[in-house]
Amino acid sequence: MDKLVTLWEGSGLYNLELGQVVMLAVGLLLLYLAIYKKFEPLLLVPIGFGGILANIPEAGLALSALEQAVEVGRPALLEQLASALGGSLDSQASVDSWRTSLEQMMAGDATAQQIAGAKAIASGAGYGDGMLYVFYTVAITSGIAPLIIFMGVGAMTDFGPLLANPRTLFLGAAAQFGIFATLFGAVLLSSMGWMDFSLNQAAAIGIIGGADGPTSIYVSSMLAPELLGAIAVAAYAYMALVPLIQPPIMRLLTTKKEREITMTQLRPVSKLEKIVFPVLLLILVALFLPDASPLLGMFCFGNLMRECGVVERLSDTAQNALINIVTILLGLAVGSKLMAESFLSVETLGIMALGIVAFGIGTTAGVLMAKLMNVVSKMPINPLIGAAGVSAVPMAARVANKVGLESNPHNFLLMHAMGPNVAGVIGSAVAAGVMIKYLG
Amino acid sequence: MQDPELLQEGLGLMALGMGFVFVFLGVLVFSMTLMSGVIRRFQPVPAPAAPRARTQPAASPASQDDETLAVISAAVHRYRHKTRR
Repeated sequence: MDKLVTLWEGSGLYNLELGQVVMLAVGLLLLYLAIYKKFEPLLLVPIGFGGILANIPEAGLALSALEQAVEVGRPALLEQLASALGGSLDSQASVDSWRTSLEQMMAGDATAQQIAGAKAIASGAGYGDGMLYVFYTVAITSGIAPLIIFMGVGAMTDFGPLLANPRTLFLGAAAQFGIFATLFGAVLLSSMGWMDFSLNQAAAIGIIGGADGPTSIYVSSMLAPELLGAIAVAAYAYMALVPLIQPPIMRLLTTKKEREITMTQLRPVSKLEKIVFPVLLLILVALFLPDASPLLGMFCFGNLMRECGVVERLSDTAQNALINIVTILLGLAVGSKLMAESFLSVETLGIMALGIVAFGIGTTAGVLMAKLMNVVSKMPINPLIGAAGVSAVPMAARVANKVGLESNPHNFLLMHAMGPNVAGVIGSAVAAGVMIKYLG
Repeated sequence: MQDPELLQEGLGLMALGMGFVFVFLGVLVFSMTLMSGVIRRFQPVPAPAAPRARTQPAASPASQDDETLAVISAAVHRYRHKTRR
């Protein structure tokens, strides 16, 4: 009978907590959205599955060795850990309250040395880092995965339309207003006392408005790792929703006549220009904003591999095999942050709300900027391509093209919209660099 | 909480960030235009022949077109002449 009880007490069903049930449902919801609704399936399938794995009770896949020991260790071990951390446990209290007070000790005033000592005890007792925790450390804490994805994006990007019409860079710049307006919104929410975001967290949330998955993950891993799960989910979910979010805003801000504007055909761009461009961008980054150099450096490297034409094999790997491998690791690692304790909070709702506002403001700013440029410059600019200034390559450009075709079935804006679209990638990486410089 | 301070810092970061993004991309526009100009002027490879004709059709004088036409027709004539024999 005792054995049966032990087995029962070790089962997932016995240890399941309400938060974990909710998170398992969230994981399943993400899988549903990815598989049936085709929302960014390449990322949401791994993220959703990772989220489910992370919330399996007792398995502790997303926990470090020490956290696992605290979570499931026997009372004797907990006492050892407490003494290693320089604290003591109330002998009257229950084991569960011991666990919470140990967690407080780890989060609180324990020195790095004490933590290391406790870690040694935990691994001595046979606890190891969870699988997802290892993925997270390797892929995201180190910053490697978002950077490699950025290299792949660089290798997939054609700067031709941008080189043919460099002024569209300003549209990409304007759309970054979404990032900073959202940052301000998050700060405002916390100063009104509705949420509690620090400036670092507000900056990480703002980056969602850049509509650039790897950049958001990179920035939040540096500035606010505790919010990474919610931020990554919001960023990718809303990127999938770009075709729903943007068109109403675009129609609202433009007249039918403006949407019908046809643009002059782009000049062809020589191969040499395309080769020189990434080098030029890299030099500017090195001169003006070294903090953006991890992101833009990898981006330029990927693009140079694509354009130089002598390393086809490397470029092909960066665009296909490598980016796919890293996407799997990155998705699972992000999923590991979908744990009940950190994800189920008012802040997550706030992030989701702010994220959609960020997209809206970015789109608005891009369209308005395009209208302004139309007034100032001689060359006609269709304001719809301003909306492509939020990065989300190539979805935002396709949306601009589609809305343009609705007004004038012979007006193909896709190539014109690709200019601001890739400008948005550069713009959001620059914005990320500024934030890291200012807050990091 | 020092709320006004946080707000102020948020505003500051917003202004600084937006300003910097615009300045940086402005510099990028400038240097891209310069780079493209230099390359298009100094690259005498056969590729730009097509672009130049398309980007500035009005600028190319008519006499040059006539000359090209003459050269091409001469070549075609010669080729036909040769193959017939």
